[in-house]
Amino acid sequence: MSRRQQTRPRASSTHKPSSLSRWAQEHRSVAKTSLWRILKTPASSLMTSFVIAVSLLLPALLLGLNSNLAVVLSGFQNSAQITVYLEQGLPESSAIVVSDNLLTRADIINTRYISAEQALRDFGTASGLGQLSEELTENPLPAAIVITPQDPTPESVEALAQQLEEIPEATLVQVDSRWLQRLQAISDLVSIIGQILTLIVVLGLFFIVGNTIKLAIENRKDEIRVIKLVGGSNLFIARPFLYAGLFFGLAGGICASGLQAVVLLTFNSSLAELMLLYESSFELAGFGIINVLLLIFAGAVIGWSAAFLASFRHIRAINP
Amino acid sequence: MIKFDGVSKRYLGGEEALSNISFEIAKGEMAFITGHSGAGKSTLLKLILAIEKPSAGQLIANGVNISRIKARHIPKHRQKIGTVFQDHQLLSDRSVFHNVALPLEICGYQPLEAARRVRAALDKVGLLNKERSFPESLSGGEQQRVGIARAVVNRPSIILADEPTGNLDPELSGEVMKVFEQFKSVGVCILVASHDTGLIQRLSYRTLVLDEGRLAEDRRPGANS
Repeated sequence: MSRRQQTRPRASSTHKPSSLSRWAQEHRSVAKTSLWRILKTPASSLMTSFVIAVSLLLPALLLGLNSNLAVVLSGFQNSAQITVYLEQGLPESSAIVVSDNLLTRADIINTRYISAEQALRDFGTASGLGQLSEELTENPLPAAIVITPQDPTPESVEALAQQLEEIPEATLVQVDSRWLQRLQAISDLVSIIGQILTLIVVLGLFFIVGNTIKLAIENRKDEIRVIKLVGGSNLFIARPFLYAGLFFGLAGGICASGLQAVVLLTFNSSLAELMLLYESSFELAGFGIINVLLLIFAGAVIGWSAAFLASFRHIRAINP
Repeated sequence: MIKFDGVSKRYLGGEEALSNISFEIAKGEMAFITGHSGAGKSTLLKLILAIEKPSAGQLIANGVNISRIKARHIPKHRQKIGTVFQDHQLLSDRSVFHNVALPLEICGYQPLEAARRVRAALDKVGLLNKERSFPESLSGGEQQRVGIARAVVNRPSIILADEPTGNLDPELSGEVMKVFEQFKSVGVCILVASHDTGLIQRLSYRTLVLDEGRLAEDRRPGANS
């Protein structure tokens, strides 16, 4: 067969180049093969990516919502207010004296006096019942002083409120930040649920990707056996499967960002309508490019790690 | 190069496939193993490849103690051994070229250097014109020769061949043996398991005869047989 006797075989040679570009080239070719195998079964690959996408979407939305809530809360954090309602029929002059006296305190930065008439007018415009309030013979509303405390933390606001109750002209002291505290508690709860959900979803994704990889390995059992026989290491055999996990994760992450965008656009347009009624222009934020990249990155990391765990376990179990 | 020292292999069922085998094959030596099917030929080759481990005794192949080899060192060990399998063990979704290139791919050769070596190996077995074919479109004999090309492509220090001429006519068998002889002449240690008594007699190499797991005979050329 060999008519070229001049090329004589040499015993085991050490001619094995291993440069960085060589390494990159090798990986490029493995990645290409892996991608080609995924694209060869488009339906099941799409299904896997979609399942990953939906799983990623749930915690992403919840955590995104929570970060919005946190933004809203921090905006209100420095606007804790205490409203002191004054006795009915207290003359305006003495009410202003009370207000000015309060302003001299070090723990109060601002006071605003709202007279009973002003309160009625505000009620009329805000409620749309202006006509009715004009027809009232007697003003049922008390005058009030709205106080902005120096220290907006809930504890000191509460302490200040207690001191304000001592004022003889005061009938009722209301801390306006209580609803904020409730909102804060809800936000904390949402955050905890988000974290737990994230954990569950990550575990679930490990299972989904792991199972997909396991099936792929099962399908290539004969090939893996041959590669092991001729000296392929577990890492060499695992490489295309690691790329497969990475690609599934990436596709899932991209798909999830797409779904998230659809959900947000729908949500924001109805939110805008709602906010129009409140003459506000609040919009959900924090779902920008950074979040999209993070989502895709999370998908990729989870996909790769799940593939890593699954492939080594199953490849090790195959013996020639 | 290959040294069996009182090696026994007992499978889990309790049946002893090899018992107390001792022999040594030197660098640049070529030997046949013969015997009926079930005499232990395949087990012997499996031990050298570290697919199985000896139950007793010591086996050293290519400087590696097979009884003590760690799982992570097995791939490196197999990379230095070229193996021709009885059932070819080719990958059906790869072309002949890529089947032969597999050992080089595993070792990380540059594509150009790999291609050069693959073509040289295919040329040696006379299949240079089939490099784009897929194994299933080849005859049994051609598949056998692809397996041989793959075994020699990485210039191994040991070549193991399990019935390498099983599907070949006498002329091709002779050609394959010539390829092995070329490697033998540059110091490769070659062990051929074969039924082909005609071929064995014609070539007059050292022959190890296995009988029910025992080494029944160690015939050397020159000695009367």
